[in-house]
Amino acid sequence: MNRTIDDSPALPLWLLALASVSMLVALYMVFMWVSTEASMGIIQRIFYFHVSAAFVSFVAVAVGGVSSILYLKTRDAKYDDLALAANESIVVFEAMNIIMGSIWGKRVWGIWWTWDARLTSSFLLILIYLAYVIVRRAVAPEQRATICAVICIFGMADVPLVYMSNRLFRTQHPSPVLGGGPGSGIAPDMLWTWLAAFIALILLWWCVIRVRRRLARSERMIEALSRSAHELAGGAHI
Amino acid sequence: MSENLPWLFAAFTIGWGLVFGYLAWISNREQETRRRLEALQQLINDRDCQTR
Repeated sequence: MNRTIDDSPALPLWLLALASVSMLVALYMVFMWVSTEASMGIIQRIFYFHVSAAFVSFVAVAVGGVSSILYLKTRDAKYDDLALAANESIVVFEAMNIIMGSIWGKRVWGIWWTWDARLTSSFLLILIYLAYVIVRRAVAPEQRATICAVICIFGMADVPLVYMSNRLFRTQHPSPVLGGGPGSGIAPDMLWTWLAAFIALILLWWCVIRVRRRLARSERMIEALSRSAHELAGGAHI
Repeated sequence: MSENLPWLFAAFTIGWGLVFGYLAWISNREQETRRRLEALQQLINDRDCQTR
């Protein structure tokens, strides 16, 4: 095991620059460039980051799930670090999605929340990954990977349910405007703005993942060093 | 339009606040982890020297 402290920057300059520029472009498009939706007015501008945050969560679920499975197969700790980073980020981005949607809902529907299929399945997704974060800290390292992988499988199973919920059931949440079939769709300038917001948010997520993954690696190193220090001290507590 | 502006502001502030709050938490924890790592490495090096 490599026991040197990693002094390299967690974020390469090109990624930081790309994420910053794309975020500025996206914010400019959301607040200055895109036309205002006729019936809802400016509150509809929440849409661009609300939907993007949901899509970023789906990407994180896929990355976290695949990494967990690869860790179970190979027992290579780098996959476990990536799984932790991706799965923890789901809680943050899904919370962003739900809170932004709730504020939008209050203005448009007149209510903060309703237990329809879309909202409930999204809430379930956040609960599953909150459980992941809690269980990961509570369980012994030997059992951690297996239990966490099982939670990830539940998380991955919930994503199709979230995605299909307003296609299969009648929901308070509106029908999909992106990939919703005949009759759905948005104006081209709104589509471009959504795309810009999604690219900006996925780059931000990538930055978050890299930083969190390095922290996970450092924490793992501490565990190993603590064990070495314990052995050197002849079993005495350090 | 103006009556929706505070709601739009609140949505973006809370949304972005979550992400940047999370990044601040990671940054704090990274610094703490670095301090612990350096202390542990020093301790192991000292013990190694003593045993030789």
